[in-house]
Amino acid sequence: MDKFEILDHTADVGLVAWGKTKEELFANAALGMFSLICSVEEVDGGFTTQVEVEGSDYEDLLVTWLNELLYLFEAEEVVLKQFNIQELGQYYLKAQVEGEPLDPKKHHIQRVVKACTYYEVKVEEVEPQLWRAQVYFDI
Amino acid sequence: MAEAWKGPLQKVDDWRWLIPRTYKKGMLTDGMIYASEKMISAIRKDQAPEQVANVACLPGIVGRSLAMPDIHWGYGFPIGGVAATEEKGGVISPGGVGFDINCGVRVIKTNLTEEEVKPHMEKLLSLLFTNIPSGVGSKGKLSFSIPELEKVMEKGARYIISRGFGFGEDEENIEERGAMEGANPEAVSTKARERGKNQLGSLGSGNHFLELEVVEQVFRPDLAEAFGLFPGQVIIMVHTGSRGLGHQVCTDYLQEMQKAMSRYGISVPDRQLACAPCDSPEGRGYFEAMACSANFAWANRQLITHWVREVFEQVFQKSAPALGMFVLYDVAHNIAKWEEHEVEGKKMKLCVHRKGATRAFSAGNPTLPPHYRDVGQPVLIPGDMGTGSYILVGTELAMQETFGSTCHGAGRVMSRSEADRRSKGRDIAGELKERGVLVRAESKATLREEIPEAYKDVGEVVEVVEKAGISKKVVYARPLGVIKG
Repeated sequence: MDKFEILDHTADVGLVAWGKTKEELFANAALGMFSLICSVEEVDGGFTTQVEVEGSDYEDLLVTWLNELLYLFEAEEVVLKQFNIQELGQYYLKAQVEGEPLDPKKHHIQRVVKACTYYEVKVEEVEPQLWRAQVYFDI
Repeated sequence: MAEAWKGPLQKVDDWRWLIPRTYKKGMLTDGMIYASEKMISAIRKDQAPEQVANVACLPGIVGRSLAMPDIHWGYGFPIGGVAATEEKGGVISPGGVGFDINCGVRVIKTNLTEEEVKPHMEKLLSLLFTNIPSGVGSKGKLSFSIPELEKVMEKGARYIISRGFGFGEDEENIEERGAMEGANPEAVSTKARERGKNQLGSLGSGNHFLELEVVEQVFRPDLAEAFGLFPGQVIIMVHTGSRGLGHQVCTDYLQEMQKAMSRYGISVPDRQLACAPCDSPEGRGYFEAMACSANFAWANRQLITHWVREVFEQVFQKSAPALGMFVLYDVAHNIAKWEEHEVEGKKMKLCVHRKGATRAFSAGNPTLPPHYRDVGQPVLIPGDMGTGSYILVGTELAMQETFGSTCHGAGRVMSRSEADRRSKGRDIAGELKERGVLVRAESKATLREEIPEAYKDVGEVVEVVEKAGISKKVVYARPLGVIKG
């Protein structure tokens, strides 16, 4: 099982993520998003924080979660690569995220992701122990 | 790849294609796409026409759901989409503006010719590249305190000019005179402020750029003269927006409107079209915060203008006024605005959403500055990097048909991953140099994703709006040098 794959979109970029559990799915979606921003292999540790978000369903929660991480990237200037989902209900997510303060000499930023959109967002359990999510980003 | 769109497109004339309201349940009006026959097959390749139909489902839509010839697949609205909603019973949708609120274009004129500028191109580009921060997460050179940031959000470019970064007359050559009414910083979240505060005075990345161009072709000499443009003249085009502030405002209010929609009994075919009644607390809050972001963007382009002038002053050892460095105009192409339009003989106050579309007011419009009132508003249309830009003027037909709107640029035809594949191993900067265009870019990846063939030919786009009669070509300008984020 791949963790994620990139979808073609004329103006922007889509992402499909997979996970055996929905926790793993949300972590892989976040990893997929950061792989669009930079080479995650270049990211070491040194920064950790708690993230909590609320949503009206899994789709809303996924979009809100990814947008919260984009906020951290831009306002706190950190690149992230480790996402430990501690609690995930239909309306609430709590996670510990890890990464490193952004260092332009070390981290090669590839592109700006302006936001995660609600366009065609999907979170579904396609078969037992296989979750799939799809989102599009505004680039 | 994207799924092709199989819905009905009825040919009205050579430049107009109608999606009848019977196509889909929930459509309240027809959709109309401005395009040539040749473009239509490309437009059908993805779901952009479906998005035109989805926009036609927005409560309180007035007139048609419109798409300009640079239409391409977006999220929520198509890029190139225009929709007007009424004050009472109508909705406002953050998806009808987009994340990059008041992404727009400004043109600064000079009295220099290509011959005078050519010998200094390398130096000019290097200095512009050093003096104007660009790239992902780029920060401005000045730091603004929170009270100053609030003034920027309220007063936009006017505040920046009052701080000494511009000429007094710059103000009247900016849409909304550089500051939209109704901006209320209290509607802007702390997160949005945090994201935006260090980015004022920066270009950003993606399709944003700063370009030196030369006026190569004049289509309408009388209008060119009224705009102060002449063949061989060097002009500077700045394309950027409200940076992280706008992105966060859109994110915040989309989430809020997701929650509010059921309360107002609104359902839309795409969650990215989340909206709220214009006169609801959520609708008003979004408008106030969006206006703050729009003002931030005008302030941003004003600061960049100031640094462009400084660089030219340094290189040519003359003052900016002596170099004729006046603002031609500054247009927003991602915005929602309250405007008065005549619909079926009746004057109406409408919320006009333009997502990748440019306001193109015609001669006689009382909101235009006096020197453009007799000719109409300059409309600034950037091409992709390397193929040049057009300056158009609005028409009376646009006022009647498109709420005074026209196209905004070339429009992508190729996904970023495809552009990446096609440009693998190529020296894009070298290729452009061979075509006479010098490039400085912060990121090679951006350069590859933005290769010229990833875009529609801006010439074809402009041809359609001219033939359809919603704008008139004034000049074409060829690129000399580009700075990309």
